[in-house]
Amino acid sequence: MNEELDSQLSAMFDNELPAAECELLARRLSRDGDLKSRWGRYAVIGAVIRAERGITLDGTMAGRVSAALTSEPALSADMPRSGGRVPSRWWQPVAGAGLAAGVAAVSIFWLRSQAVPGHSAEAVPMVAALSTLPAAAPRALRSVGATVSDSFVVPPVQQQPTLVVPATELADYVVAHSAFSWPVSRGNLLSALMVSEPGTSSTPAESEKPAPGVQGNAIQNPK
Amino acid sequence: MSADASDLSLVRRVQRGDKGAFDALVLKYQHKLVKLVMRYVRNPAEAEDIAQEAFIKAYRALPQFRGDSAFYTWLYRIAINTAKNAVVSRDRSPVEYDLDRSNTDESYDMQGRMKDSETPEGLVLTDEIRSTVNAAIDSLPDDLRTAIVLRELEGLSYEEIAAAMACPVGTVRSRIFRAREAIDRRLREVFEGGLGRAEELG
Repeated sequence: MNEELDSQLSAMFDNELPAAECELLARRLSRDGDLKSRWGRYAVIGAVIRAERGITLDGTMAGRVSAALTSEPALSADMPRSGGRVPSRWWQPVAGAGLAAGVAAVSIFWLRSQAVPGHSAEAVPMVAALSTLPAAAPRALRSVGATVSDSFVVPPVQQQPTLVVPATELADYVVAHSAFSWPVSRGNLLSALMVSEPGTSSTPAESEKPAPGVQGNAIQNPK
Repeated sequence: MSADASDLSLVRRVQRGDKGAFDALVLKYQHKLVKLVMRYVRNPAEAEDIAQEAFIKAYRALPQFRGDSAFYTWLYRIAINTAKNAVVSRDRSPVEYDLDRSNTDESYDMQGRMKDSETPEGLVLTDEIRSTVNAAIDSLPDDLRTAIVLRELEGLSYEEIAAAMACPVGTVRSRIFRAREAIDRRLREVFEGGLGRAEELG
């Protein structure tokens, strides 16, 4: 038996061996009779120092316990480890509802930021993208850029295919996924969609044309 | 480093079906448990029975052990409960027992020992083990003796011993190991010779 292994065994006996090394040594200890005997003698040395009773070298008690457990089935990894109690699951429906509400809220806010005209900084790239929209682009999106001149300098990143969402489909999506959203938020978004629907917009169709005499980067409302 | 990593690694092996790993836990803690149980029952044979029962209960309960506490702490509680139940079921008061036996410990020890380890040959061997271990400890160099005694008697961790002896933790580990090896060498000689002597007595 090599000295390093014995040194590890001594440290393991004292619970002073790193966990990774313990795993390997525990496996060997459970199978190696010589190592187990040495382990038992380490226990005897400690017992003598502490003046404990029942000191034996042959592991009498270990033998009796082992014999008594012979008829016991070996434990297995799939046995319950929580004291046989069924863990409480009360939090699961709450967590599920919370998660669904969170996802719905994020979806709504994201869609709002994409669909509502003039909403925060997102409006600028949306407007810039209008110049590249095909003629068949939904009216709802075209109406977003109604107040912008075509002479606006277009930023380099122009591809925003996700913006091309028909208003009806968007509304369906919002209704289907807003079960957990606040009624106010849902109402605001649906109102915005309604505004962008053909026939409901207050922006006249003519406003899509560039206002005469508008030059440069200035964004002007057509009069 | 986990404070209970080695016990936990053995426990995990038992939980995965390795009964051999449980032997190592019994070997390690049997003396401590008997000593603990003897606070409740003074009869060594009965204490051994209770300790054995506690180990069996612990084995059966191991699937529920999650490692939140140290294994010995958990085992300790099982042993205490087993001892208390044994005392109650036998309708025996440990206080009365103490009063009866307080002045006759040595003679009682001789009367009460009924297990294998307490047969005449077992007693001779046990006495020889004690004297050999004590003699081996006395013959150790100071630094080795101090390290092993601080560990086994005072229960200090390697880090605490290192602080007490003003040396690195690695040195403490080495000193304790060398002390054990020196004692174990003598112990093995006694074991081999002692068994022969015990057979002659039998």
